Amino acid sequence: MRKQEGILKNLDWTLVGLYLLLIFMGWLSVYASVYNEEHKDITDFSQKYGKQLVWILSSLFIALLILVVEGNFFAAFSYPIYIISMLMLVLVLFIGKEVSGSKSWIGVGDFGIQPAEFAKFATLMALAKFLGNINIKMDDVKTKVICAAVIVLPMILIFFEHETGVALVYSCFILVMYREGLSGNILLLGVTMAFLFLLALLINVYVLIGVLCFLCFLLFMVIRKTVQNAIVVVVIFILSSVSVYSVQFAFEKLEPHQKKRINVFLGKESDKKKAGYNVNQSLIAIGSGGVIGKGYLQGTQTKYDFVPEQSTDFIFCTVGEEFGFVGSAVVVSLFLFLLIRIIQVAERQRSPFSRIYGYGVASVIFFHVLVNIGMTIGLVPVIGIPLPFFSYGGSSLWAFTILLFILIKLDSYRLEILR
Amino acid sequence: MKKEIKNTDKDIQKDIRIRARVVYAIVFVFAISIFSRILFLQLVEGDFWKEKLKKQNTEIITIEAARGNIFSCDGSLMATSIPVFELRFEVASINISDELFNSKIDSLAICLSSFFKKKTIKQYKRDLIRARRNNSHSFLIAKEVNFNELREIKKFPIFRLGKYKGGFLTLQKNKRIRPFKNLALRTLGYDRISKNPVGIEGSFDNDLKGIGGERLVQKISKNVSIPVNDENEIEPKDGNDIVTTIDIKIQDVAHKALEKQLIAEHADHGCLILMEVKTGEVKAIVNLSKIDSTQYEEIKNYAIGESTEPGSTFKLASLLVALDDKVSTLDEMVETGDGTYNYRGLIIKDSHDGGSGKISLQRVFEESSNVGTAKIITRHYEKNPQKFIDGLNRIGITRKLNLDIPGEKKPYIKNTKDPLWSDFSLPEMSIGYEEQLAPIQILTFYNAVANNGKMMKPQFIREIKSKGSVVKKFEPVVLQEKIAAEESIQMVKKMLEAVVEHGTATNLRNSYYKIAAKTGTAQIAQDNKGYKNNKGKKSYQASLCGYFPTINPLYSMIIVVTNPSKRAYYGNEVAGPVFREVADKVYSTSTEMHQLISVDTNKVLSRIPFLKNGSNDDINIIAKALAVPLTGAIETEWVYAQENQKSISLNALPEVAKGLPNVIGMGLKDAISILENNKYHVIVNGKGKVKKMYLQQLQNTKKPSVKIELG
Repeated sequence: MRKQEGILKNLDWTLVGLYLLLIFMGWLSVYASVYNEEHKDITDFSQKYGKQLVWILSSLFIALLILVVEGNFFAAFSYPIYIISMLMLVLVLFIGKEVSGSKSWIGVGDFGIQPAEFAKFATLMALAKFLGNINIKMDDVKTKVICAAVIVLPMILIFFEHETGVALVYSCFILVMYREGLSGNILLLGVTMAFLFLLALLINVYVLIGVLCFLCFLLFMVIRKTVQNAIVVVVIFILSSVSVYSVQFAFEKLEPHQKKRINVFLGKESDKKKAGYNVNQSLIAIGSGGVIGKGYLQGTQTKYDFVPEQSTDFIFCTVGEEFGFVGSAVVVSLFLFLLIRIIQVAERQRSPFSRIYGYGVASVIFFHVLVNIGMTIGLVPVIGIPLPFFSYGGSSLWAFTILLFILIKLDSYRLEILR
Repeated sequence: MKKEIKNTDKDIQKDIRIRARVVYAIVFVFAISIFSRILFLQLVEGDFWKEKLKKQNTEIITIEAARGNIFSCDGSLMATSIPVFELRFEVASINISDELFNSKIDSLAICLSSFFKKKTIKQYKRDLIRARRNNSHSFLIAKEVNFNELREIKKFPIFRLGKYKGGFLTLQKNKRIRPFKNLALRTLGYDRISKNPVGIEGSFDNDLKGIGGERLVQKISKNVSIPVNDENEIEPKDGNDIVTTIDIKIQDVAHKALEKQLIAEHADHGCLILMEVKTGEVKAIVNLSKIDSTQYEEIKNYAIGESTEPGSTFKLASLLVALDDKVSTLDEMVETGDGTYNYRGLIIKDSHDGGSGKISLQRVFEESSNVGTAKIITRHYEKNPQKFIDGLNRIGITRKLNLDIPGEKKPYIKNTKDPLWSDFSLPEMSIGYEEQLAPIQILTFYNAVANNGKMMKPQFIREIKSKGSVVKKFEPVVLQEKIAAEESIQMVKKMLEAVVEHGTATNLRNSYYKIAAKTGTAQIAQDNKGYKNNKGKKSYQASLCGYFPTINPLYSMIIVVTNPSKRAYYGNEVAGPVFREVADKVYSTSTEMHQLISVDTNKVLSRIPFLKNGSNDDINIIAKALAVPLTGAIETEWVYAQENQKSISLNALPEVAKGLPNVIGMGLKDAISILENNKYHVIVNGKGKVKKMYLQQLQNTKKPSVKIELG
């Protein structure tokens, strides 16, 4: 009894409070998005909001379980958890059931779980464990290779499940590695590559290569004109040209629906009925919300089911339509506070494992929030990943709860760790 | 050394601080971009998206215009559209509570099962429950029910709650029905959307279909929309009606007569066209294809679309050219010998063995001698075959008719410059081979002969009407004022009459009215097989084309029967009976024809007809109509008619007793009328006219009774 009291005493109540607030708001949003007058009871278990309540309660139970576990358990069992998680990802390829084109679910009775969701924190723990080792130096090539392998393995497996969106989430760990000493140039390179990637799809490849050539020439003019610099500039030019060219090539290899989504996002194709439909409906829902919204349960877009997947990927529409700019701003602010708080908590950790883990949590949540809200407002292409704590679905809620509460547990345990 | 390490430590800490700030910065940059995007979307562009939402929730639906009807020339409805309803059940509607559903499902299943009889009660119940569990919003109840059925179904449990509360959805559609089923089906055509229009429905689609209206509706829940305004935004304009030239009674007779004959002869298919001589109006058009040995249906429009080698019916054209060119006369003699003729190696044979020796041109036509015809034509045109072709062009038989119904091809009649022209072409063409014509093209030519040389375009449409008033009238169209000189026309008419009188079509001869016609028995060339059918037997096309009556002809008719395989294949045997049956029907219903025959009005009545006693007025009307002289005109209501030698004398009705007129010899209708007017109760026995009458006083009636016996 005393022990538990101790646990609760050291908890970061800001994080816990934000977490509870978000899941509660999420639950109300799920209720609004699938609301029907016949089943008004929010605890009706035949409806999604009733089921979500079950997920919420079970998540709280899981959170409690994590809090009572010994603090050093997570660091100690990082690798086994990672290995089990990877095996699950392999297994799902064979026994998984197919749900709308993706083979990522393992069915347990009526409920299904998605190993890809749980692989996120498993990967993060393995990464934290590896990087947290006192002898590891980020500058070593070997370190970079191992880190890359830990991250890319689940990405590949998930990619085979046709869950491209979830696979992309793992790219956010580059932020963690940056914090741990990865050269800023590599981060810059990554951002530049992403930028070039978009340009390559928008602009004719040969025109782009011409522009790159010109830019490299300008670069060479402003820096010192040594042979070494000349070689660097030429290498930059060749690398960027090759990558631009290969983007075009890779794009052709994509599945038609992915190509279409990207083209619709880039404005190259207008398709109001298919790929562009979701986004268009989502924009109508959010845009028509105005300043204060139409009021809870009053959203016409929501009620008439114009927005597909509204309880999962497009849950933010409900907030935008029914609570307007005020509501949207509140939700985005809450996520921003959550992220800042997580980074603050991460920074105050004594053990590298906890710190790295904390950064990882922030990165994953950051990526999810950015991409999910970004796609509902037409800022990023449609990538089917859920809004943390908000979207309907057990696997994702459980996974985010575990992700966050391990950090909360590690944080409450920090004073007991010797430096 | 120590200092250096400290410096490095400081550097590292500085580096870490920078890195942390970069991470914060990244988060903030993206947060700000999301904020500004939402701000822009909801505040700046808000009105734009609200407008879009409004547009999305309202939509314009089209309201189908009622398709026009098609009538026969006598006003019978041949094709019309009736509303039918598709019924769906929003079984998983949120407005139907579980309580309601569970309590009514059994009775609903019973109603559905007993009404539609497609599934058992159990199956209906199971399917409905399953559909509700699967969240189905449109369970199909029936694809097509009529208005009366809909009224019944609307009373079923749950359904009776209506569209919103009971989830009962109806979708109105129009269905085309043809009250006369198979009659002229192919000529009426179909209203289906296809590349090639079919029949009247197809070629007059623009007139029939009307213009759809528009209505603005707003979505009020997931599956329900309501009109925004009371009235339609654009009212639908109903299609126009089309009155055809078809006479449904003649069409019926023609259809049955041809069908009977096709069955009897095991023919592959056949067609018949009856046309009014003066106007070119088509009164009946039948096209029948074999389905099985007892069933023929309207599938292809042979009458218009099937061009074949016509055979002997073409001889009329050949000989008309020769007569009109004045190179020949009806008396021109030709040696038919033993019935075979070797023309430069081409053997031409007559259909009957033995030949007819030396005969006149008229006799050649009567007997339908191939040898005679070929000899006459080659004799006069061998040196200049193009002159013969020019002649055919002149008499109009090579003309395309440009009918109102699609499917007609231009007659294939080659000229001497044609690559397929050979030495054999002239004799072959003269007897109806090496050329292709559709039945309606042959008939149009024969009709022109009947019409004293004036060629009329076959017409199928009389007028287009809108709400009863005529929008467009189709006047008779003259294709060619005179196809040949008057004498030539009179000569060929004489030839045609002779065919029936003592030629190949004597079976058409009758004492009531005269028919002029020509038989044709052509061998059919089939793809790759030459003139043999698939059993290796020769296949034939028997035809008969002519007009009636011979004086002032009223109707022309063609009958073509393809591949009769049972007994006969000669035109007169196969097509003759059909011709007679249809012509008889037309004759019996056409009063014009009767007057033409009974022209002799001065003839004295050979016998005074019997007249029942009865109403004075009725008797006067009848006597006048029949030109029976009456004597002893009186003013009483009822009269007693007595036959004399040359007239009927009328007397007042004698009385049996005071106030009881003698009704003996009257019809029952008159007798009852008289007796009851005189306050008698009438008891009737037997049938016929009144034979005996008795006065009775029955106990339980106040009125005196009269018992009459009929016989």
